[in-house]
Amino acid sequence: MHNGTGSLPFVQFKPIKNFTSPSSVSCIGLVGVLEVKPRPKPYAFIHSILGFSLFIYTSMNDMEHRKTNDGEGRRLDGEEEEEEEDEDEGNGRGLDAWERAYADERSWESLQEDESGLLRPIDNKTIYHAQYRRRIRSLYSSTTTARIQKGLIRYLYIVVDLSRAASEMDFKPSRMAVVAKHIEAFIREFFDQNPLSQIGLVTIKDGLAQCLTDLGGSPDSHVKALMGKLECSGDSSLQNALDLVHGYLNQIPSYGHREVLILYSALSTCDPGDIMETIQECKKSKIRCSVIGLSAEIFICRHLCQETGGSYSVALDESHFKELLLEHAPPPPAIAEFAIANLIKMGFPQRAAEGVISICSCHKEAKVGGGYTCPRCKARVCELPTECRICGLTLVSSPHLARSYHHLFPIPPFDEVSLSLLNNPHQRSSRACFGCQESLLIPGNKPTLCVACPKCKQHFCLDCDIYIHESLHNCPGCESFRHSKIVSVTEE
Amino acid sequence: MKFQIEDVTVYFPYDNIYPEQYSYMVELKRALDAKGHALLEMPTGTGKTIALLSLITSYALSKPSNPIKLLYCTRTVHEMEKTLAELRLLHQYQLRHLGPAARILALGLSSRKNLCINPAVVSAENRDSVDAGCRKLTASWVRALAVENPNIPTCQFFENYEKAASEAVLPPGVYTLQDLRAFGRDKGWCPYFLARHMVQFANVVVYSYQYLLDPKVAGIISKEMQRESVVVFDEAHNIDNVCIEALSVSVRRQTLEGATRNLSKMAQEINRFKATDAGRLRAEYNRLVEGLAQRGNLPISDTWLANPALPDDILKEAVPGNIRRAEHFLSVLRRLVQYLHGRLETENVEKEGPVAFVASINSQAGIDQKMLKFCYDRLHSLMLTLEITDTDEFLHIQTICDFATLVGTYTRGFSIIIEPFDERMPHIPDPVLQLSCHDASLAIKPVFERFQSVVITSGTLSPIDLYPRLLNFNPVVSRSFTMSLTRNCICPMVLTRGSDQLPVSTKFDMRSDPGVVRNYGRLLLEMVSVVPDGIVCFFVSYSYMDGIVNTWNESGILKEIMQHKLVFIETQDVVETTLALDNYRRACDCGRGAVFFSVARGKVAEGIDFDRHYGRLVIMFGVPFQYTLSRILLARLEYLRETFQIKEGDFLTFDALRQAAQCVGRVIRSKADYGMMIFADKRYSRHDKRSKLPGWILSHLRDAHLNLSTDMALHIAREFLRKMAQPYDKAGVSGRKTLLSEEDLEKMGDGTTNEMLF
Repeated sequence: MHNGTGSLPFVQFKPIKNFTSPSSVSCIGLVGVLEVKPRPKPYAFIHSILGFSLFIYTSMNDMEHRKTNDGEGRRLDGEEEEEEEDEDEGNGRGLDAWERAYADERSWESLQEDESGLLRPIDNKTIYHAQYRRRIRSLYSSTTTARIQKGLIRYLYIVVDLSRAASEMDFKPSRMAVVAKHIEAFIREFFDQNPLSQIGLVTIKDGLAQCLTDLGGSPDSHVKALMGKLECSGDSSLQNALDLVHGYLNQIPSYGHREVLILYSALSTCDPGDIMETIQECKKSKIRCSVIGLSAEIFICRHLCQETGGSYSVALDESHFKELLLEHAPPPPAIAEFAIANLIKMGFPQRAAEGVISICSCHKEAKVGGGYTCPRCKARVCELPTECRICGLTLVSSPHLARSYHHLFPIPPFDEVSLSLLNNPHQRSSRACFGCQESLLIPGNKPTLCVACPKCKQHFCLDCDIYIHESLHNCPGCESFRHSKIVSVTEE
Repeated sequence: MKFQIEDVTVYFPYDNIYPEQYSYMVELKRALDAKGHALLEMPTGTGKTIALLSLITSYALSKPSNPIKLLYCTRTVHEMEKTLAELRLLHQYQLRHLGPAARILALGLSSRKNLCINPAVVSAENRDSVDAGCRKLTASWVRALAVENPNIPTCQFFENYEKAASEAVLPPGVYTLQDLRAFGRDKGWCPYFLARHMVQFANVVVYSYQYLLDPKVAGIISKEMQRESVVVFDEAHNIDNVCIEALSVSVRRQTLEGATRNLSKMAQEINRFKATDAGRLRAEYNRLVEGLAQRGNLPISDTWLANPALPDDILKEAVPGNIRRAEHFLSVLRRLVQYLHGRLETENVEKEGPVAFVASINSQAGIDQKMLKFCYDRLHSLMLTLEITDTDEFLHIQTICDFATLVGTYTRGFSIIIEPFDERMPHIPDPVLQLSCHDASLAIKPVFERFQSVVITSGTLSPIDLYPRLLNFNPVVSRSFTMSLTRNCICPMVLTRGSDQLPVSTKFDMRSDPGVVRNYGRLLLEMVSVVPDGIVCFFVSYSYMDGIVNTWNESGILKEIMQHKLVFIETQDVVETTLALDNYRRACDCGRGAVFFSVARGKVAEGIDFDRHYGRLVIMFGVPFQYTLSRILLARLEYLRETFQIKEGDFLTFDALRQAAQCVGRVIRSKADYGMMIFADKRYSRHDKRSKLPGWILSHLRDAHLNLSTDMALHIAREFLRKMAQPYDKAGVSGRKTLLSEEDLEKMGDGTTNEMLF
């Protein structure tokens, strides 16, 4: 390849490093190797305040609370990092500015003209929100029409394609780095939403599939393992990966949902045998295979997804990729044959006392304090949820179960409210968002778009709408209504 | 759905209709009303066939007093089956709505090879031997002998069919070739003869072009079609070439040798007959005196030859006296073959008009024009008399007589070209004498005259004003429709420069330039790394493809390409190509990805679809001009200039561009599909070339894509493929309605249709 001139500053340094920000909000994210101090971020602060203010209305537990902050902080952090990377790029590439714009970005193409030929500012917010509304609606219509059972205990293998094609630089700095970055976010989001589930990592390189991590419930160990292995070469083989994953997933007990998520950079697959047979086998063992492509639609991937009931999508750019990846975080509908009610034996271990030294069964190391004790065999484990190494009992904590619960009872999508209704002077209360108390009228006294909960009829601004559906999973209006009712009942 | 177009209620078997289908029907209806001919261009994948069928059958239903018959001509058997399947769907829909009143009889007609159900006959390898095998069992004299001698084999299906006589009819319905065979097997009747019989009564007949255009066949099959018929030529962008081929003959040395063998065999037969049954020959002589008009009352199984000249030109007069006797006729043929032998011996390329050629035959071999004209009929009669059934053996002498009759009949629009060797291989003597027809209107003229409406339609008929001139007719409607798309699913690009900014072209002086070859190689190499699944490449000729692939191989480009995709190549061998295609498809299916190298004007460029993942990108390397030094082409160009005032350059560009459009059109076969097209030659950016592309390609060819270099094309490709991989909404996005329901059509009313749609 003539354009691979070796000037790949991003691949050469190790770009990824965990760090904890000095603030109380724990942030984990990606930072370039250049010594960049996190800049003050006023908006982050505002947002976190916003997060708190919302909680005034909710009866969330402590756990949720921390989690939301976590999410916010991380997201913001991510944004910041992107900015910094952009800057790096400017310096790092051996191309002139005009050349780069011509070859890679073509930023003028994203400009739009209105009817009279004037350039129109790009209104990202409404587009973003429209997209979100569409997604929520489709999600809702597909799930609640007949209260579909969802697989809450998922066994997901993420297959990362590290073949030659992953080094292409149409995603900045390279496909591989982008994939790794977002997998990290995904893994964390995944465990947030599916605390009972487990993930394993598989890579494809040089035509071979390799198991990076076994199924497990610890996000950090997966992320660490992946970051250590970021090199790419050779061809890619879908069949080898499927065979490998099939071997592992076949042993999973029947209540678990077997899933594979393939992040595929290559445009072809170099297989040793007939891939169609492998696909049929996956179908037979009820493995749901989903693929996210990074470059273009490939027939075999579409076929695979169609056969096994997964979803196939192709990323347009980095943000789209992230969006597609995160779509896989909420649990999918259960496959009919597995949807029989099933009792699963689980242990709820107690947190071990502080200061006690014991050998944990997962790392085989002596540890002081922390950790949990298996209620059956009294072995020590470091993290929950997991499976006890000694007796094989599934160990969870009750908040894990509680958090998995909301997928079964999603909040209905909010209705869009017409503007005239808002202008009604008698209804003073509805002029402000019920969530954040911000006025729904923007300064020019022009109403913005807003939504209303179909049950409690409270109005919300768009930001709160997204927040409620994606993070909170509780409608503040309905919750406070129920609360006041309970209160009034007790008073009587 | 059903809707009104003016006074006709159209029954359309689907719930929705594309706007272009609707306007296509409106135009077609006007043509039918005007009882005139039509020329309609509509891109493939927009449901041309169903629109045609549905309008014409509905039109026939709405005018029960004067039913029109539909003759639908397709190029291949596969297309024939597809059309009939489509028609069946439509028919079922009409039956549901109209009841038994809508009953029609529709059937496909093909050669014995496709219809025969006698296992002993159909196992023969080619068409001619199946025909001969059939005749051996069904000729009238064979059957007459079999009555006395039960040991002589006959075809039981044909016997049953004959026995059933007038009861052997097909009940109304739609019959594909397969259905006909099944029906034949069921009843024990011969499907081929049954179909041929039923063609006269059918409402819809689907058959191949030859049945109307080739006078030899048309004389037998299509003779009794009524004037109130609508003839449709589907995929008719090459119709002029089909017409020309129908009237062109080429004679090689092997042909002459074979003809000599045939002659001596016939001489033996004559002697045998003289000894045993001299009466037969005498009876034939008497018949010939009365004229050749006897052909109508021969039993159907015996009519296998007909005059290659056109019906109008066959004079109903007696065969000239000097070839009435069998042995005289044979000696005339011998002299003719001898003469042709002599002409083939020449060292130089010769070109002559028919008049001069006939004069020279007359002076040197003593055969005059009238004798030549009757050669074919006389041979036919003689072979009948001699009871020759293995007609496949006698193809050579038939070719000679074919040639003689054509030369004797026409004085204009033909030329005789003798080439002692192939231009490209001057060391190997391979003399060939070609009688080439230059005037496509000759063969199609009787069709235009005999039938009230002829519809010529295809995906690529641009520029649409040239066809009426080439075929010499006046269409009442000639229109080109564009495709209404929910998204921009085709992405044509003109690539003029390589990544090093040097122009690329297959122009004669540039094609062997190593820079051009390298740039083409790099283009392909870059493309295989961004395009998934299948890529098809078209080259201008076999020799050019061989050359460039060799160079790529030497410079290692091919090897690099193979890292991404497998490479398959079309060859002139049909079996090899079929195998390559098969493996190409498998490679695309299993995700390995593949590139197919093919040649414009080759078999693959015409008949094979590369839809969906089988062709995400097609690259046209160069402009596929015809081999301009070919004598036949030069003669034709000259004729076109003199007769139709079509400039040489215009015709060559038109021909090249329609070929290119045909090649790139292979990738998109339906609206849900998507594909890219790269025209890799700097000449495509010139207006005179580009403007001859069909409208549906031009409308997607943005100005920004007219002058691209490899890297820019690469970027566009990446973006396009990403965009196309996104899920989309089939019903059409805001503003652009691409599916019309019954209500929409009602709302539109009649007059305003076009304004609203375009």
